[in-house]
This record gives sequence, structure tokens and C-alpha cells, in this order.
Amino acid sequence: MNFHQTQPYVGTPAIALTGIEKSFDKLKVLDDISLTVRQGEVVALLGTSGCGKSTLLNIIAGLLPADSGAIDLSGALDPAHGSSGDIAYMFQEDRLLPWRSIRANVAFGLEAQSVDRRTRLARADAMLAHVGLSDFSKSWPHQLSGGMRSRVALARSLVVEPRILLMDEPFSKLDPQTRSQMHGELLRLQAIHGTTILFVTHDVEEAAVLADRIVVMSPRPGRIRNIETIDFPRPRIPTDPAVNEQIRQLRLGS
Amino acid sequence: MSFTRTGSIVLQRLLLLGAILLLWWYAASKVPSFVLPGPAKVLDGVFALVNSATFLRDVGATTYRVITGFAIAAVAGTLAGLVLGSNRTLATFFEPILSVLNTVSSAIWAIFAIIWFGISDATTIFVVFMTAFPLILTNVWQGTRAVDTHYVDLARSFRMSQLQILLKIYLPSILPYFFSGARLAFGFGWRVSLVAETLGSSDGIGYRLRQAADLVQSDKVFAWTLLLVVLMLVIESGLLKPLERILFRWKQQS
Repeated sequence: MNFHQTQPYVGTPAIALTGIEKSFDKLKVLDDISLTVRQGEVVALLGTSGCGKSTLLNIIAGLLPADSGAIDLSGALDPAHGSSGDIAYMFQEDRLLPWRSIRANVAFGLEAQSVDRRTRLARADAMLAHVGLSDFSKSWPHQLSGGMRSRVALARSLVVEPRILLMDEPFSKLDPQTRSQMHGELLRLQAIHGTTILFVTHDVEEAAVLADRIVVMSPRPGRIRNIETIDFPRPRIPTDPAVNEQIRQLRLGS
Repeated sequence: MSFTRTGSIVLQRLLLLGAILLLWWYAASKVPSFVLPGPAKVLDGVFALVNSATFLRDVGATTYRVITGFAIAAVAGTLAGLVLGSNRTLATFFEPILSVLNTVSSAIWAIFAIIWFGISDATTIFVVFMTAFPLILTNVWQGTRAVDTHYVDLARSFRMSQLQILLKIYLPSILPYFFSGARLAFGFGWRVSLVAETLGSSDGIGYRLRQAADLVQSDKVFAWTLLLVVLMLVIESGLLKPLERILFRWKQQS
């Protein structure tokens, strides 16, 4: 498979955040977050737990209202797409619906769009083939291993062909081998569709392998401390001396 | 399950049945037959009953009343359970009524029903409803509390409407609770329908039971009892168990 780097897009940004603030009760979790993510860019939010990374994703996904600030996703909107399908959110847990077969789980997000049943299932099957789980299309979630369930969750996010993919430590519970397999899968599909990806991680290595830019956040209240650009071509191997050096620098910095 | 174990269970059941029949036959031989008719006499009674002119009409009348009362209770109980489950203020306000409903005996409902509806179908339907409604309501209400907010957020992240969230997340999550409530309610409904019919009806199984008791036709009372037990077992193993297996097949371990 050929991993080509996505072209940096100079037009309208996909995600534009200006002055986002959020408090729970009196505790301030996000303080003046301003960030621009270009279309087709892969950006990592890196920081220790409690720095409000997940809260920021929830706000962008529309699950939580911000106290103040502006979120502009209009750059990623596709009028032909309708409002659903613009964003897919891959949570920290796989959140597969236990009463649905694997295939119906993958097709779940498509049900929010005006896609007929036959097309939904056909697209779900195609996506399951992409992540190598065609044989499990009729299985129930509880019959699959953790790694397979993560792949199903990834398939469910990608099948809607989102313009923006948000991910909250989606691979943190996987063993290293499965995780790096998932990274490859993700980058391959991202290269095909040019999806804009914003993901949360506390793993420096994961950030360095996947991201074009790394946004380092500091905790209590969550603030952007600095933004690092990773300009090595993909695929990046963590043991590669140059990549390794950058990871070391990031560890020192964060 | 191994063949020999299934065989041993069948053997045990036959042994139990034989022992009961033997005990019954022995006890019946010691007392007058109007107190305890023997197995042979009851079997004759069953045949006479099944061949009698009003048999199908009586079974039909009772079934109609039970099913009608149960169906209204299922719809009303589910709706009320969903409303109470989605609104804490309403739930706290109405909770005492549920406790009161649960303490009132079905015999009291039957007496009220006769005062309000006289000798009619409505009397039995009302009693079945009053018994089944709180059971279904309570279970559905509990079910709403068990809905995982993670799944709701998943649906919201795909921009699903409130109605879609209700249909695709709430209903499947609540279904197991509804089902156990409905099963309980159906069983209770059957039993109390007979009480209601003995008091406020001019046909149906309960009415025939009272008629037989008034005329000291103990064999007929026993014959009805036997038929009812068989009917309930058939419904349980022929309808409810298979339905449960299909609806909740995703829960079964592979």
C-alpha cells in the first residue's frame, strides 16, 4: 500500500476554534482555546489526563455546549452531504450496540442519513472488508476480541465518509501490535478520503506516528501550551533515529 | 447438553408425575369424590368439558378479556414508563401512586369493576389492566434508567434526531425490561381474570369454575384447573420462550 502524505490545504480550515472556554461547576477545564485545523490535516491533542482534551472533543462533536467562544466547522461542510455524516466521533470505548450484529453496528451511522437500507448494508460490508472483518459480519459484538471491536468502531466511523473524524484515545486499550496495525489502517483510509482528523492521546509516540501537528496542552485549566509540526514522511517508524529524536524532544517538552 | 443428561431429566419428570398421580389416586380413594375426585374421574371431566357446547366460547371469552386488558396495559404502561423515566420531577411526584396501586388486591379491583361496569367484558378487562399496568410501568421505568448514556452520545454524535434516539437506543435497551414485566403481567393477568370472572361475568372460564363449585362438581373444577395449567405451559414454552430466544439472541454466549 502506498502511503502518500496528504496535501496541506490552503483554503477554508476544516475546524476553526476561537476562544473556547468551559467550566464544570466552578472548575475551569478549558481556557481560551483557539485552534485551526486545515482540511485533510491530522492533528493530535497531547496532554496528561485532566487537561480537558476529551471535553474539547465533546464540544466540537456537539455533545457539550461551550460556555463561550466560537466553533466553525463550515469549512468542512459539504452541501451535497447533508448535515449528518460531516463528523464521526470515535470514542475511547468501542460503544458497539450489543443488540446489533457487527454489520448493523457498522451501518448505524448511515441511518442518520437518507441512505436506503440496501445501500447502507452494502457500504457496511465494503467497510468491513477494508478492516478485514468480512467473516464476522453476522456475529454479535460480545463474540469479538477487543482489537476486532476497535476495528468495527473504526469502520462505523469511516463508513459515513466523514469530513472530520474525532477520536478520543481510540486505540489506548489495544496491545502494541494491534495498535500499530490500526494506525496503518487509519492512515491508509485517511489518505484515500482526505479526512480531517483531530484526535486525543497521551501517548507521545502515537502522536508522532500519526499527526501532522501536535497540540500540547497543559492541565487545570486546559490551555494550549505549544504546537509542534512533524514533517517526516509517512509511514513513520518510531525506532527511526530522526523520528525517535523528535519523540524524545516532545517528551522533554511535555 | 448431552443426550444422557436430557434423558435423565425426562426420566426425573416422569417419575415426579407418576408419584403425584399415585399420591392423588391414593388420597382420592380415602375421601368422598366431591371432596377430591380421582385422576380417572377428572380425566373423564376433561373430555366432557372439551366436548361441551360452550367450551370454545368460554376459553375464547376469557382469552379475549385477558389479551385486551394486557394489550392496553402494555401500551399505557410503556408510555407512562417512558414519560416517568425521562422526567425526574414527574417520577418523584407520581411514585406514591405506584406504591398504592401495587398494594390494592385484584379482588378489590374486581368489586369496584362490578360497581362501575356491571356484568360485562369491561369488568374483567379492567381488573387485568389494573394488575398488569403497574408491573409493566415499573419495569419500563427501571429500563429507562438502565439506558447507557454512552450509546445516546454515540447516536447524537451521528446527528440523530430525538425520535431516532428513542427508536434505536432507548427501545432496544428497554426491551429486556419490558419483556420481563410483560411476562409477569401476562401470568398475573390470567390468574386475576378468573377471579374477576367468578364475580362479574356470565361466561368465560372463571364463570364456569364458580358454576361448577356452586353445583359441587369437583371433577369439573379439577378438569378446568388441569386445562389451565396445560394452557399456560403451552403459552410459556410455545410462545414466550421462543420469542425471548429470538429477541435476545444477541445475549446468548457462543
